Amino acid sequence: MLNIKDLQVSIEDKQILKGINLDIKPGEVHAIMGPNGSGKSTLANVLAGREEYEVTGGSVTFEGEDLLELEVDERARAGIFLAFQYPVEIPGVSTSNFLKSTVNAVRVERGQEELNAAQMLKYIREKLDMVGMDPKFLKRSLNEGFSGGEKKRNEMLQMALLEPKLAVLDETDSGLDIDALRIVADAVNKLRSENRSFVIVTHYQRLLNYIVPDYVHVLYNGRIVKSGDKSLSLQLEEKGYDWIKEEVAAIEG
Amino acid sequence: MTTITQDRFAEAKTQFQQLFEQDVQLLNGHAEQPLHQLRQQAIQRLPDLSFPTRRDEDFKYTNFNRALNLSYQQGTNVMIDHATIDAYRLNGIAPIQLVFINGEWNAELSKMENLPEGLTITSIAKALQNDAYRAWIEAQYTKETEGNAAFTALNLAFAKDGVFVHVKKGAVIESSIQLLHLAIVDDQAMVISPQLFVQAETSAQVSFIETHDAATGYQGAYLSNGIARFALDANAHVSHYRIQNDSQEAFKLTNIDIVQERDSVFKGYTIDLGGRIVRNNLGAEQTGVGADTNMFGVYLGKGDQHIDNQSFMDHASEHCTSNELYKGILTDKARGVFNGKVMVRKDSQKINAFQQNSSLVLSKTAIMDTKPQLEIYADDVRCSHGATIGQLDEDSVFYLRSRGLNDAAARALLQHAFILEVLENVDSEDLQDHIEGLIKAKFAE
Repeated sequence: MLNIKDLQVSIEDKQILKGINLDIKPGEVHAIMGPNGSGKSTLANVLAGREEYEVTGGSVTFEGEDLLELEVDERARAGIFLAFQYPVEIPGVSTSNFLKSTVNAVRVERGQEELNAAQMLKYIREKLDMVGMDPKFLKRSLNEGFSGGEKKRNEMLQMALLEPKLAVLDETDSGLDIDALRIVADAVNKLRSENRSFVIVTHYQRLLNYIVPDYVHVLYNGRIVKSGDKSLSLQLEEKGYDWIKEEVAAIEG
Repeated sequence: MTTITQDRFAEAKTQFQQLFEQDVQLLNGHAEQPLHQLRQQAIQRLPDLSFPTRRDEDFKYTNFNRALNLSYQQGTNVMIDHATIDAYRLNGIAPIQLVFINGEWNAELSKMENLPEGLTITSIAKALQNDAYRAWIEAQYTKETEGNAAFTALNLAFAKDGVFVHVKKGAVIESSIQLLHLAIVDDQAMVISPQLFVQAETSAQVSFIETHDAATGYQGAYLSNGIARFALDANAHVSHYRIQNDSQEAFKLTNIDIVQERDSVFKGYTIDLGGRIVRNNLGAEQTGVGADTNMFGVYLGKGDQHIDNQSFMDHASEHCTSNELYKGILTDKARGVFNGKVMVRKDSQKINAFQQNSSLVLSKTAIMDTKPQLEIYADDVRCSHGATIGQLDEDSVFYLRSRGLNDAAARALLQHAFILEVLENVDSEDLQDHIEGLIKAKFAE
């Protein structure tokens, strides 16, 4: 589904990613962990299509197509969803109008018919229930004045509504209390299916108690230096990242 | 000793005087009527009045005198079919409709049957024959308007079909009144002179919606030089919407003056979508305690449009409030100006005044000049003002696009959201929807 080969990325002439290789098959959940500054968010942002990152080498293909050639909105319509670490507050844009526009934009791209007002309401209600979000938020401006947990819940609602093929969660768990964390994990678990893949970028192992990944990768200094199953994340929780850094230093040394 | 300098506007003035004389010849014996006397006095003042120049502080950014370079004819009614005018009617929003073609009142196309109790709508010519109204109307003809005296004199001289509206004490007029102005101008430039005089008695309530459009397919040049005067008695409530979608070649000048007695409430809305050079002067004077004034404005400039909003909020009494919010979006080579002055006079204590102007400037060649001013001579007041000029927030654009909206749709949504803060103050939901529709159409051009 997603194939990353020797991906190299710079921002303002500083190389952040120094050759990432990652192969994600349909239905798989991959966790990307690593210390601060290792390049985790850069990877998430490049997949989402942020323009300030310059890809200097390598390739990313999504379902056989060159992902890096697609604009951010084309990626979204092709089935990639990025849950933001810091969702933007947009005063004046009502959450419900926004959700309706995005759902129909994506449906049209997939050759499905636009939902009419009644169908849309039903569909949104269903997903609101799923993520446990109060319908009163629909009337409010998008993310404006939402608490951290409410914003993340709204991200999960959008993920549920847009039914992506690949969802990338960029440190969605950062700063969340355990209740909010469960909401995120719940949404992911409910949406897990054999056709849908997830990339979960996280700094903390805690989220992975709730979302059990198929693979765990450790990103350090712009490279994936270790991959394993969920036991790797437990090891990191226990021992921190220093032993990884030492291993890398020993190899490179 | 007097120094005589060449009047740089002599030629333009001569043109207007000649035009006025031509018009008089068409009067067929009506020249002795009170209205004509007043018009005559106005044109006679013209030689002594100066048109504003860029040297005038209030016209620093707006060269409205470009309007004086054209060769004009007096605006006159042209034949029009019902279907054409129907496109501009606010049916369902404003049941009372006054139709003006090139400034001339068309009674046949207007809808004024069965006016509600307490509401009088008549021509100024007729109102002058009524002793109850004459003195106030005459006073409007001699009222000096600072900085705009020459154009005001032109309006008073050329307006033949001014509207006088009187709302009786305690009359609440539920039906909004549309003043439908349609310009049908081809190659020959015209002078169009809209005029509206409103007297609202104690506790009266009334709402006006002016629409100013150019008929589809007619994008000729004209000078639309309008004035409106409002006198609000105690506790009167008056709303005045002006939705301006004139020709891209139109020179549009509007002078609106409001005088408010105690506890009266005025709400003014200015929506500027069309026009080549647009200049609005809005002045409100609170002469009675507890008066409340609201000024809302939206301006959308594209191409080489120039839209200038000037406002003067005169708190001349105690315990008054004012609320002023103007927002606009400029792109291409459009230029916007906002110059808002809030004056709190010496004994006007307990004033609460708010003023805000925010603009989005979307291209490198668009320009916005904003100048909010406070002048406070009382010591126990609460006044705030602010101005911002910025671009669309690119993080917001990215966020919307990351959910599948294309770039144009994302930007349109954010622009709409920016303007919505003003439109939320429109009292009727249907009217708000109508205005939003016009704005969307303008974005989509």
